[in-house]
Amino acid sequence: MAEVADIRRDNVWLGGAGRAVAIVAGAVGAVGLGIGGAIAWAQPDQRAHFFASYLTNYCYFLSLGLGGLFLVLLEHLARAGWSVVVRRLAEGIASTLPVLCLLFLPVLWGMGYLYPWVNPRGDLAEHLQHLLEWKRPYLNTGFFGVRAGIYLVVWLAISYYYLALSSRQDRTGEPRLTLRLEGLAPVAIILFGLTLTFASFDWMMSRDPFWYSTIFGVYYFAGCVVGGFALVTVVAVLLQRGGRLVSAISPDHYQDLGKYTFGFIVFWAYIAFSQYLLIWYGNIPEETQWYVRRSHGPWGGVSVLLLLGHFVLPFVAIISRWPKRRPALLGAVCVWILGVHWFDVYWLVMPEYSATAVPLSWLDVVLFVGMGGVCTARALLWLGRRPLIPIRDPRLEESLAFENA
Amino acid sequence: MADTREIDNTVTLPGQPAVLVTGDHDLASLTEVVAGIAEAPRPPRGWYIAFGVSMTLLMILGAMVGYLFLMGIGVWGLNVPVAWAFDITNFVFWVGIGHAGTLISAILFLFRQKWRTGINRFAEAMTIFAVVCAGLFPLIHLGRPWFMYWLFPYPTYLKVWPQFKSPLVWDVFAVSTYMTVSILFWYMGMIPDLATFRDRAKGRVKHTIYGILSLGWRGSGRHWHRYETAYLLLAALATPLVLSVHSVVSFDFAVSHLPGWHTTIFPPYFVAGAIFSGFGMVLTLIIPARAYFGLKDIVTLRHVDNMAKIMLATGMIVGYAYSIEFFTSWYSGNPYEGFTFLNRAFGPYAWAYWIMISCNVFIPQLLWFKRVRTNLLVLWILAIFVNIGMWFERFTIIVASLHRDYLPSSWGMYTPTWVEILTLAGSFGLFLTLFLLFIRYLPVVAMAEVKSIMPQAGLEHGGRRGFGQYWGEIPHRHERRGPEGKH
Amino acid sequence: MGENIPPADVPVVPRAGTVYGVLAEYDGVAPLLEAAAKVRDGGYTYWDTYTPIPIHGLDEAMGIRKTRLPWVVFGAGVSGALLALLMQWWMNAFNYSYVVSGKPLLNLPPYIPIIFEVTILLSAITAFLGMLLLNKLPQLYHSWFASRAFARRVTTDRFFIGIEARDPKFDIAEVRALLGSTRASQVETVVEPAAPAMPEQVRKYGLPVAVLLLAVALVPPLLIAKARLTPRNSPRVQVIADMDQQPKFLPQQANPLFLDDRAMRPLVAGTVAVHHANLDKFLYQGIAEGQWATGFPMPVTTTLVARGQARFNIYCTACHGWDGAGNGPAAVQGAARSPESWVMPTSLLDGVVRERPNGHIFNTISNGIRTMPAYGDQIPVADRWAILGYVRALQLSQAAPKALVPAERQAELR
Repeated sequence: MAEVADIRRDNVWLGGAGRAVAIVAGAVGAVGLGIGGAIAWAQPDQRAHFFASYLTNYCYFLSLGLGGLFLVLLEHLARAGWSVVVRRLAEGIASTLPVLCLLFLPVLWGMGYLYPWVNPRGDLAEHLQHLLEWKRPYLNTGFFGVRAGIYLVVWLAISYYYLALSSRQDRTGEPRLTLRLEGLAPVAIILFGLTLTFASFDWMMSRDPFWYSTIFGVYYFAGCVVGGFALVTVVAVLLQRGGRLVSAISPDHYQDLGKYTFGFIVFWAYIAFSQYLLIWYGNIPEETQWYVRRSHGPWGGVSVLLLLGHFVLPFVAIISRWPKRRPALLGAVCVWILGVHWFDVYWLVMPEYSATAVPLSWLDVVLFVGMGGVCTARALLWLGRRPLIPIRDPRLEESLAFENA
Repeated sequence: MADTREIDNTVTLPGQPAVLVTGDHDLASLTEVVAGIAEAPRPPRGWYIAFGVSMTLLMILGAMVGYLFLMGIGVWGLNVPVAWAFDITNFVFWVGIGHAGTLISAILFLFRQKWRTGINRFAEAMTIFAVVCAGLFPLIHLGRPWFMYWLFPYPTYLKVWPQFKSPLVWDVFAVSTYMTVSILFWYMGMIPDLATFRDRAKGRVKHTIYGILSLGWRGSGRHWHRYETAYLLLAALATPLVLSVHSVVSFDFAVSHLPGWHTTIFPPYFVAGAIFSGFGMVLTLIIPARAYFGLKDIVTLRHVDNMAKIMLATGMIVGYAYSIEFFTSWYSGNPYEGFTFLNRAFGPYAWAYWIMISCNVFIPQLLWFKRVRTNLLVLWILAIFVNIGMWFERFTIIVASLHRDYLPSSWGMYTPTWVEILTLAGSFGLFLTLFLLFIRYLPVVAMAEVKSIMPQAGLEHGGRRGFGQYWGEIPHRHERRGPEGKH
Repeated sequence: MGENIPPADVPVVPRAGTVYGVLAEYDGVAPLLEAAAKVRDGGYTYWDTYTPIPIHGLDEAMGIRKTRLPWVVFGAGVSGALLALLMQWWMNAFNYSYVVSGKPLLNLPPYIPIIFEVTILLSAITAFLGMLLLNKLPQLYHSWFASRAFARRVTTDRFFIGIEARDPKFDIAEVRALLGSTRASQVETVVEPAAPAMPEQVRKYGLPVAVLLLAVALVPPLLIAKARLTPRNSPRVQVIADMDQQPKFLPQQANPLFLDDRAMRPLVAGTVAVHHANLDKFLYQGIAEGQWATGFPMPVTTTLVARGQARFNIYCTACHGWDGAGNGPAAVQGAARSPESWVMPTSLLDGVVRERPNGHIFNTISNGIRTMPAYGDQIPVADRWAILGYVRALQLSQAAPKALVPAERQAELR
């Protein structure tokens, strides 16, 4: 009875430790990206592999950044009270989007390696050449670049606006800012949904330019949201271990984070199953080829890993209330989810590079560490400059007192 | 008729609790308002008029179904390329409407949207009656409807079993499960309110009937504990169920090879459309009902505003699906896909397509304006447009895809016959008749639930306290050192 | 996972005049919660709160442990999933296995929707019935309803705490004092009401009327049973025609549309059914140059004779026997049953048959002879010639010159 959450007594600052971690992460990240790039530059025969791996990791970290942004937008859209205590963490994740914009440039550089429609092979069957010709108005390098620019600008604009106003409220405490953010949330969400859909079409689906699925954008979106909730949970657990926000984030908040993670794991499975069942049942070669590539040989193993690891295991692990209220346990499950989510993106991107083998290699590790390090550094630096909780949000009190009845 | 002033409770400042019951009600007066509707010795004249109209429609439905059984499917306008038309359109239309109830009771419950209590009983009842109407159509469109029990797996002397790889059999399971769970949910929610009716009943007959229906509920704390657990479980079960039902309905189309049907976004797109149409129907019914039965303090402007927002949101999702489908039909490079969508927009059924687009995408854009969302007459008309649009969406999907097959030699056209049109009209009679009976005899508002969100329910007795609004000094964002000692 | 419920919450048969318990009435949530905590700490077992709404925090104030209902429901869900999987596998892949649109018999994706639905269905029904069962509902009457205040307002706007007399700690003065010390607006001792007397008519006529109704109710099932057990010659009553009666012309019916008044139309002269041109008289009829053919229309090979043996064993042995001697099981049994009228089949080894030309025997197989039916419709033409080849082989084998037997096996001959 009568627990008290008082941010006046909580440590709401990341402080010097955070900055130190940021510097180390940034350095490691830069070194990782540098090594990867150097190898790709030195060994032309590794370039196709390099870019495929780069795209995998890029889409992975992008999904986390977009997931964080979506959480922020969702809270404003729904005028949710409970999640205010963790909103700053989601904002921190979304703050990596400017870095991710820069990290997109190598994708443009590697387009020729990544997208068969850039320089079609000469030995393509006639009807496939015809298809590429048909899609040329959409799938051409110029328009691709313009579209990518639009997506990135939209995400930058949304994230800048939402993060800046939230930070400003820390100083002024104006409830008006909350109202402004809430008012804009529907528009932002619509732009977010459209850009995310077409970005996933452009960057991942067009890796096989002959394949199409209308639900593809929703699939990537589901992965983004799962990643966003899981990462916020993990960050919250780590911060509390480090003595921050100890009383502010309670088991009740974890339970809700767990519920949403659980819910979107199920949503992901629903979308994945819908896509799979309809293509499996229709059994039309132009559609099934994409799944055939992913269901035979070693990729079949990855598919099973996704079914079990991305759905069954987390489903069973956090269906009940008990584990959701234990930060360590929930955090462990979320770390697992973030890991499997990487394989999900890998499974989306990679089979078009190597259909017969799962080409896991040191390149993946180096690029993962590189991109992860840079993004972590950015997020920590951003979080280090403001309190870890929106201290003057008008709904903060409601959120602190939140109880999961 | 209660007074006609509307109290605008739609705006709340962030951090302030929302006012969900207006008009200074306490627990007793709220009970009086709700129970008064069913306890009135005779309903208002308008009820009789509405009941007369809907009973007439219901009798027309009976006549049409009887005529159909007598003469066979030939009395409908179905033909070989268009072997599904009004029947399945009506089925999907009614099932879709049946989604709002469970959405409000289950999903909004899980999202802790307290405003749902004012409308959930109403919406659940609507769900059940809509599913009844929906179930009617697949049954009567069978060539020999008296063998409908062949759809269920039972040991027959023919020693055959249903074909479980068929989405039509999935439909049987999905719709009947949905029907069962919706009834359970509705009835379970009603038990405490039926007990209230029992305790207020004047006559012996009413006392006995409500007594039996309420199963002897006496509000025991130990009972409430299990009751609430069961309610939460049912909500958690009904949520994926809602998604699954319309997904399965979409599978009926999407597993086939027909261009315009075979597309992967169908399941979530159908679900969003179902919620869209469901809220359209809830608003269509609740706006007159709240005015007529004096429920304005319980179903406030805020409720109406929220429902309009959900309608806008789901309408946008539906619009998203239309666009992605259209884009992909071009992007696929599949000439049949491309033709189907161009044919929808510019072919012989273009009128249906543009009714659908106008009613589902263009007109709901008005909901961006708060003045539209809180102007009840405009909103009511708009909700009716949504109903019309969603009916034509199913008509477009079904008829406009079927009437152009792969081979031009298999092309055809479809025109409904008077029997089909009257059957559709009659299904509204069935729906409204059930609905009017519900209003007359059962608690139209979940009284116990509304009471539990009123201030008198003592919600302030939470265990956890929060002190936010940190007004102490904070360093400027550009300051280098974080104040480590600040706790 | 124990339930903190009094073990026997079943109403005892109310005896008028005994004290059932003490009720305290509250007009708000806060006093109720305080009082509930007090009673909980007082160590009572048979007590409860009664409220018109679910109250947040009451479980804790009453010391109720969490219900085990979720586990029961989880179990129901798991069994629903397994049941649905088993059902679909057994019905579609095992008991009545048929391939549809080239899909494998046992394959998970198309089974998932029904697995899902049955899981939800069983779980939901279990949640509802489990809740009722654990709450021991329906229980239409409860002694607290004897209190007017309780019966009127517990489901509307008043909150109650009731302590029952069967509690081992129950002492009316103590309990009243305890409840009186709370912020109760009223404390009431509830006395068991007298059981309502049975109305005179019910007591007098109840049993005979019930028996009569039961007897009447038995009439329809008895009639149905009788109808099902009685054989009838008249056609059954058809409620639904099921296309049994169709407006169509049957063979041999009249149709005034045609000049000859017949519904059946004669064939146009020279019509030949598809695949029935049969222009090769040798192959189809066994006739060569107007005579019974003596040769075969195809080369006689081991394959042909082996095929003939297989067909012979299927079609002919029943009467002609395995060796063609005319002592097949059907013939033997027929002769045993009706020795005076039975005509034994011809032995194929007889001289008459041996000397018949091939075409003649082929004709007999095709069109039958005496009591032997025609096999032309059942056995394809090539197979009939193959049978003939085997018959010739049999004839040879039963009267073969010793020289034809391989030298190393001649010793086996007797």
